[in-house]
Amino acid sequence: MDTLVEFRHITKRFPGIVANNDISLSIQKGEILAILGENGAGKSTLMSMLFGMQIPDEGDILIRGKKEHISSPLVANDLNIGMVHQHFMLVENQSITENIIMGIEPKKRYFGLFPYVDIQSSKEKVRELSKQYQLEVDPESIIEDIPVSTRQRVEILKMLYRNAEILIFDEPTAVLTPQEIESLLGIIKNLRDSGKTIILITHKLDEIKKIADRCAILCKGKMVGVFDVASTTTQEMSALMVGREVSLTLSSTEHKRGTEVLRVEGLSVETNEHIRKVDKVSFTLHRGEVLSIAGVAGNGQVEIADAIAGLLPVKEGAIFLAGKDISGCTVRERIESGVAYIPEDRQSVGLILDFPLRENLCLKQYYQDPYSNSRGVLQKQEMESLAKQLISTYDIRSGSGVNTLARSMSGGNQQKAIIAREINLQADLLIFVQPTRGLDVGAIETIHKKIDELRAQGKAILLISLELDEIMELADSILVLYNGKVQTIKQASEMTKLEVGEYMMGVHVEKA
Amino acid sequence: MLKKPNLFKRIFMICCGPGKHQLLRVSLFCIFLSLLAGSVLLLLLGKNPFEAYRSILQGAGILPKTRYAGKKSQLTDFMSLLNYTTPMIFAALSVAVALKSGIFNICVSGIMVFSGFIATILVGYSSLAPIIAKPLVVLIGVVAGGLIGVLIGYLRHRFNMNEVVVAIMLNYIISYVVSFFIQTRFVDPITRQSVEVGQNARLTLFDYPIMNLKMEINLVFPLALITVFLIRYFITRTRFGFELQAVGLNSKASNYAGINVGKTVITTMLISGSLAGLAGVSYYLGSNASIQPRVLPALGFDSIAVALLGNTSAIGSFFASLLVMIFDSGTTYMSSRMQVLREIAALITSILLLFSAIGIFFRALANRYAREVEEV
Repeated sequence: MDTLVEFRHITKRFPGIVANNDISLSIQKGEILAILGENGAGKSTLMSMLFGMQIPDEGDILIRGKKEHISSPLVANDLNIGMVHQHFMLVENQSITENIIMGIEPKKRYFGLFPYVDIQSSKEKVRELSKQYQLEVDPESIIEDIPVSTRQRVEILKMLYRNAEILIFDEPTAVLTPQEIESLLGIIKNLRDSGKTIILITHKLDEIKKIADRCAILCKGKMVGVFDVASTTTQEMSALMVGREVSLTLSSTEHKRGTEVLRVEGLSVETNEHIRKVDKVSFTLHRGEVLSIAGVAGNGQVEIADAIAGLLPVKEGAIFLAGKDISGCTVRERIESGVAYIPEDRQSVGLILDFPLRENLCLKQYYQDPYSNSRGVLQKQEMESLAKQLISTYDIRSGSGVNTLARSMSGGNQQKAIIAREINLQADLLIFVQPTRGLDVGAIETIHKKIDELRAQGKAILLISLELDEIMELADSILVLYNGKVQTIKQASEMTKLEVGEYMMGVHVEKA
Repeated sequence: MLKKPNLFKRIFMICCGPGKHQLLRVSLFCIFLSLLAGSVLLLLLGKNPFEAYRSILQGAGILPKTRYAGKKSQLTDFMSLLNYTTPMIFAALSVAVALKSGIFNICVSGIMVFSGFIATILVGYSSLAPIIAKPLVVLIGVVAGGLIGVLIGYLRHRFNMNEVVVAIMLNYIISYVVSFFIQTRFVDPITRQSVEVGQNARLTLFDYPIMNLKMEINLVFPLALITVFLIRYFITRTRFGFELQAVGLNSKASNYAGINVGKTVITTMLISGSLAGLAGVSYYLGSNASIQPRVLPALGFDSIAVALLGNTSAIGSFFASLLVMIFDSGTTYMSSRMQVLREIAALITSILLLFSAIGIFFRALANRYAREVEEV
């Protein structure tokens, strides 16, 4: 096979850290190369240099054997390099075709004079491409009407339309459901089989195992090595990437169920647009129990959490916390009566990004003694000592300690900050929504251990996750939600992963 | 091909780039630019800009003039400056407080007219003793302004109405309703304005004899100074200030954290409105004595730029107010001394306001350059 891309002794420094330290790597034509590493290991930096968003401080990048200076994504584009970003770059209210041709619109002229964009022929071309690579999309749909997985296909088509030969995927499965992941992995394989070269940035080991040919592992900015996927176990890979042995499955011990903490009766929730997202859901949650709500994204899980926390009004039914109906209480009253909530959207809900870490860590306690005195004056010293204590206990890493703006922290550390704050509330009920989304194996392990610990302390935990593995690993009982309705509630030990998946798709209907 | 930032960019980044005191540096840069633009204007007119700026400072009582009329001195000029600055300080604080909470209060002008009018008809035409009348005027200003502020806050929170639209409409409604009453009930047939308020109710003492000088003494200037520090303390140190800023930065996260967003918005507007009300009474019953019908005070709109120049901080708003009013009151003297048309002189103040409103843009631009340099 020919070498298509070669990194030679690449070093890239950012103020304070060396993101890539003397990295050499060659990528063969027609392979799927996975790049594996923890958050901050330098995967994205390395790829953004290939895509022209960053320029290496030292070292060279060779494309097809020729030394290239990739100074911008446009140059990368000319070299047939395309990238699917983790956060999609699409214009919401334009059609799929318009998004795909944006920037390189084919122009024609009416009467040889008035220029216009030839949308008709573009549509045809998009249709052809989507047929050729089995990426089914309707070229005329508007982006805001289509689901996440289709948007991702649009991003892939965007690259193919630009004749990309080298396709970079930045954590493509982070936003997808298990079924969608399967189909995406199929698409990626297809692309390889039709001669494209794929670079896959990820930290999901099973995906690598499934489709990648080779796997380059980065750890703290250094290249650990390139491994043949077929002959390396996931255990070995994760050990290499973290730099230590990780226990992939928790030894979850049997816990005795305690008293009831949360009881939800006939709960129905509507969004602000009066769309019913949760339909007559009932369940109970006890001390020392992890109840997991499984379901494909958008089936009402998040709305249940929001309703319990008070962010969405209860349409019907009631929520009892330790026997007391809290469905009419304000958010603050619920927090005070013992609800801690790690929300799905850590950046726009969980944190105030332009506040320093100190304020963010006190976000739910700032008004209480000792952080405020009786006259309503903040006690910054007290806030600072709390923040410092949480930072050291939970190993929250930040540039300038308590004064770091939350905005400048990495996603993993932002999540750690939220979890630290919520656990510190000493609430009896903790709601975790997608707590490990987008985090690396090391951080996931820490959070899973923490959840296990909380259960051992007798807390009641409601875990909402899209990762079935996570649910199977942590949950004592599993509630499967489909279209806002409860499909089943069972002990985790009574169900296999496959069964849960079937319930999630609405295949298995519970017989009364 | 490594791109080195050119000289212009480098100088610009030293002035506005990220780092220590960036906000202050950007503001100073804006002031410098406006002075530069003003100089170009003056040079085109064939005037010496340094001389012109000196005469502005002289007119405002910062530098001594060569000659003074009887019973006047640099001190009287300076006291006059403080008199005219007082309403601006309140107005700029009003805008700044609202902006901290993410609300764009452009109703300052309308609130000023409203509170000025209410105070005028309730106290201005009464024969109460000054010792009672003056505090009453201040109190009415606070209450009347606060009421309008709460109305805006309530409409925004309860019906999710855009405060800018509400404020524009309220400006007109207040302006026309007030002028209706002035023209039917309180008009002075000669000036076509409202009848002047009595000396007992005015917050500024004119021609007050001290040391053989005739002074303008603004009685609420000390209150303005105290308010600056109170607002600063309130925003940075109190629980409510924390909530106000949290809501301004991210109302979703604030709601999640248990902060009552609606209450915070309404309370913020109560404070902002009260400050605008204070601006109104210190303007219409202080530096002026009557209300011109159907005219919204330009000061209320200028205060938006002033608050931005002061980085929406309390202390910043104070200094920005002072600076803008130095220009405002000094240009009269400049136009007579340099034989520049009054309009041209006023233009220099406008240029300052224009440049101060685009400080945010300079900051964003400098931050972008800084990122580019980092990447290269």
